[in-house]
Amino acid sequence: MKKTLTLLFLTMIVFALILSGCGKKAKKGDREIIVAAISEPDSVDVHRTSSMGDANSALYDALMKYDDDGNIVGNLVKEYTVSPDGKEVTFELKEGVEFHSGKPVNAEAVKASFERLMESSPFKTNAGDISKIEVVSEYVFKLTWNEPFAPFFTNSTSNYLSPIDVSVLDSNGEGFEKNPSATGALKLVEIKRGDSLVYEPSDKYDWGPDGPGFDKVTFRFIPDEETRILEFKKGNVDVLGSVPYQYIEELEKEEGVTIVRVPNYVLSYLGWNNKKPIFQDVRVRQAIAMAIDRDSIITNTFRGEAKPVFGPLPPATFGYNEKIEEMARNKYARDLDKAKQLLSEAGWKDTNKDGIVMKDGNPFKVDMWVDNDPANQRAAQIIQSQLREIGIDLSISVKESATIIEQTPQGAHEMLLWSFGWLDADVLNFLLFGDGKSTRLHYEVEEIYSLLEKGAVEMDQEKRLKLYEDAQKLLVEQSPWVPLYVKENITAIRNFEEFEIHPRRNLIIWQNVKVAK
Amino acid sequence: MSSYLLKRLLTMGVTLIGVSLLVFFMIHLVPGNPVTYILGDFATEESIKELESRLGLDRPIFTQYAAYMLNAVQGDLGTSYITGYTVVEEILNRIPITAQLALYSVAFGSIIGIMMGIIAAVKQNTIFDQMAMLVALVGISAPGFWIALFLILLFSYQLGIFPISGYSGFYSLILPSITLGLGTAGTIARMTRSSMLDVIKQDYIRTAQAKGASLYRLIFHHSLQNALIPVVTVIGMQFGYLMAGAVVTETVFALPGLGSLVVSAISTRDIPTVQGLLLFMASMIILANFVVDLLYTKLDPRIRFD
Repeated sequence: MKKTLTLLFLTMIVFALILSGCGKKAKKGDREIIVAAISEPDSVDVHRTSSMGDANSALYDALMKYDDDGNIVGNLVKEYTVSPDGKEVTFELKEGVEFHSGKPVNAEAVKASFERLMESSPFKTNAGDISKIEVVSEYVFKLTWNEPFAPFFTNSTSNYLSPIDVSVLDSNGEGFEKNPSATGALKLVEIKRGDSLVYEPSDKYDWGPDGPGFDKVTFRFIPDEETRILEFKKGNVDVLGSVPYQYIEELEKEEGVTIVRVPNYVLSYLGWNNKKPIFQDVRVRQAIAMAIDRDSIITNTFRGEAKPVFGPLPPATFGYNEKIEEMARNKYARDLDKAKQLLSEAGWKDTNKDGIVMKDGNPFKVDMWVDNDPANQRAAQIIQSQLREIGIDLSISVKESATIIEQTPQGAHEMLLWSFGWLDADVLNFLLFGDGKSTRLHYEVEEIYSLLEKGAVEMDQEKRLKLYEDAQKLLVEQSPWVPLYVKENITAIRNFEEFEIHPRRNLIIWQNVKVAK
Repeated sequence: MSSYLLKRLLTMGVTLIGVSLLVFFMIHLVPGNPVTYILGDFATEESIKELESRLGLDRPIFTQYAAYMLNAVQGDLGTSYITGYTVVEEILNRIPITAQLALYSVAFGSIIGIMMGIIAAVKQNTIFDQMAMLVALVGISAPGFWIALFLILLFSYQLGIFPISGYSGFYSLILPSITLGLGTAGTIARMTRSSMLDVIKQDYIRTAQAKGASLYRLIFHHSLQNALIPVVTVIGMQFGYLMAGAVVTETVFALPGLGSLVVSAISTRDIPTVQGLLLFMASMIILANFVVDLLYTKLDPRIRFD
């Protein structure tokens, strides 16, 4: 009997040792970069993933890009012409560009990639309502829309519209992960599901005269905050993204460590369901906006690593307007007396002197949804105490993101602390205030959404900006939400001669990365 | 014996069907829809309908369940909504790490636990007994994440003996195995102690002692085997649970095992992956129980499954 048990036990251990290979991790190369990320991208296939970050974006190169002055210019595209009615755009591709597989990036390849995008990508709305994709010549292709689609140019600075090499796909149009090929700076060499993604610089990419500043990039996925920090402090990781705010000071003191700060393009906001009767009076909405002290939230929650935003768009988004920002800042600078006065004019008074205002015998009591990010929960508590100062009794409900995403379009919420991030002002239309599209705020006012719809089809940039300025003025006046802040994107790095993160896209610019000798 | 086996296999099948029903309907009741999660801010009514239809979520729930079970019995647990990999691929990809972790931690826990239990029983009411039981108590009650961080700080960060996180073979699994094994060791130590105490009070032990049997012989030949039945039950159950993944330990050590997969699948509402994983996990626990029951007959020949 004992022999049987011993044998069973030994067999299991030997089996486990064989599985593990008993090996030690290969030594990190001198020109290898290890990036620690919180979570693994769900897919590296841009037509399948639900989000793009450094770990899957580097595979792709966009059709358009921002120049140093913030203008949108061609990237893979050399030049383009827009038809007089704005419904057709003819693009001329740069010649000599190749996919990682070595196949040329020509009009046929881009057409095939767009066809797959339109057929099966959940994010095809980024390309607009394309009715026709035509190959004009080897490097020229033409897109035709049912209606002009002005956001296309901004959207094509993102990798969601980047071309992929469809020749690597299987007969079902799948299998990109097994043999990925696109036009980005990095070529994917290994996927270890749940553990890491390994890239090397693509030899098809134009790195300039000096070539790439590194030989290999490994993205390691380390979900635990403490573990990630320890790996970085120990020197096992060179790039630590999304540094938790409480560790910034500690890491700044570490020898050889540099903290890179780039404003995030995601705007956090305090929103509410505008269909609820309590929020229908503009004076109530304005009073809430005046009660919020952004600086206090930023100091106490993000240790000062965020910038307050008063207007509807963050600075990185096309359509951001300093005049509007100034106007909103003047109108909604914290003023508790004025906020209380507005509430009182709207009929909300503290009649029983318990500190909570009432109307028709009902106290001003609302519930706010927040996701399970600890920083957002701290911000929610500060908002709760700030609103209490004007007599609003706010309760906080912590919900999973998936629940908030599903239930807010149904109007199940009262208030919410949420955020959005997109590079074009069209986000105000397709996500926030468009006709039938206001999924979280439920604020659809014809005057606003007609301006936003005009903005979506206006191909003249100046006229387009004016339309968004008018729409934003109305939004500031009507206060259907409270824009709050954009957080700083904090990255800790070590051992680099050069390192740059794109100020708008918040992604590492691999051409400008060079490891220290 | 064969009729017993048949009965057990049937019970296992029925249990698994019960688990699948429970899991399938529970996950559909949880708020949060995979389609709205995938589409996020870009969801339109049209795109939601299109994706629901592509994923088969527009069919009646009982039809979905029937189709799922029909495929499941043929070994097809579906395809992840999020990653596009088949669930079987995902499980096979992660199972080596989880299996090793379970084996090493059960091995560590069993060796340490049985040794501590024997010492505590043989030296009952002495300082050895109290120390062993104190260590066992700490092992059982200390939270996994705390033990993990303590071990990382000491052995990886300060002394640099082991890697901090990630999977790089046997070496990288030593600290996670100790983290998980300490709890197992504590439970096994307490179980071994009480079981050994029952056995060593038996008449046949006193007789063997009177006949001059050595302490080694008394413990390992006469007592331990008889005291092992409840201990084997605990070991088997622990192994079953650990094969279902160790969420906290895998997260702290950044190990790509089943535990971390199930957490990400739940948060993204990846229904096929959650269903497949939970079915697999339930199977592991049922199987572990079954193996333990079979081992009883080996440990104690008086036990028969007739």
